[in-house]
Amino acid sequence: MLDVFRSIPTQMDYKGQKLAEQIFQGIILVSAVIGFIYGYVTEQFGWTVYIVMAGFALSCLLTLPPWPMYRRNPLKWLPVQESGTEDKKPADRKPKRHSKS
Amino acid sequence: MNTVLSRANSLFAFSLSVMAALTFGCFITTAFKERSVPVSIAVSRVTLITFSLMCIHLQSIFDWNVKQLFLYLSAEYSTKNNALNQVVLWDKIILRGDNPRLFLKDMKSKYFFFDDGNGLKGNRNVTLTLSWNVVPNAGLLPLVTGSGHMSVPFPDTYETTKSY
Repeated sequence: MLDVFRSIPTQMDYKGQKLAEQIFQGIILVSAVIGFIYGYVTEQFGWTVYIVMAGFALSCLLTLPPWPMYRRNPLKWLPVQESGTEDKKPADRKPKRHSKS
Repeated sequence: MNTVLSRANSLFAFSLSVMAALTFGCFITTAFKERSVPVSIAVSRVTLITFSLMCIHLQSIFDWNVKQLFLYLSAEYSTKNNALNQVVLWDKIILRGDNPRLFLKDMKSKYFFFDDGNGLKGNRNVTLTLSWNVVPNAGLLPLVTGSGHMSVPFPDTYETTKSY
């Protein structure tokens, strides 16, 4: 069953990763500031914790799944090369035999 | 940050660090607050101590960093062996959200007032004070004495134990 999960593509490209990190850090910091002020004003530290947890849930939703906005700059791979000698592994090399001589 | 697990790891660790910083902030905003309020105590009977307590200012101690208050009434006296003896007679826990105005009349002491070493018999000056322990959400637990007290002279004979 685990193979189903492994086959879902979850990668992002590099610019997408940077964007995701900025997004979740920003969301959690903003919710921490809002939560601190709200808890101080209403004199209940429990509300601070609830607001930070809500910020955590929101940033989970925004950054964990690989949304298309994180895939806008894909890496440019080189095209597949057809040359033969670099691809052979050393174990495959057999000593040359002059069969037809 | 390429896989879901690595992003989840970094997100969770960042949230926990932010939460720790907020808890420290909560501690710092209430660490230097003055927590002593005036209390009035009256004693109506000295043997098997019966007392009355009144304190209306306890609400000002409760802020966002206080979980509960542990109050106790202690009797202090001095003998020729020790300069200060303290005996706890009664205590009470007040949680957040409970009614913090104390109007207790003619309460009996919860614990027996044992005389440990013959110091109380005929003692001219026994002082009753109310103190409390502030139990916080984050930080230190200060022990504060209320700013009102009552002194009572004790009788010259012991009371024999009666059944309650």
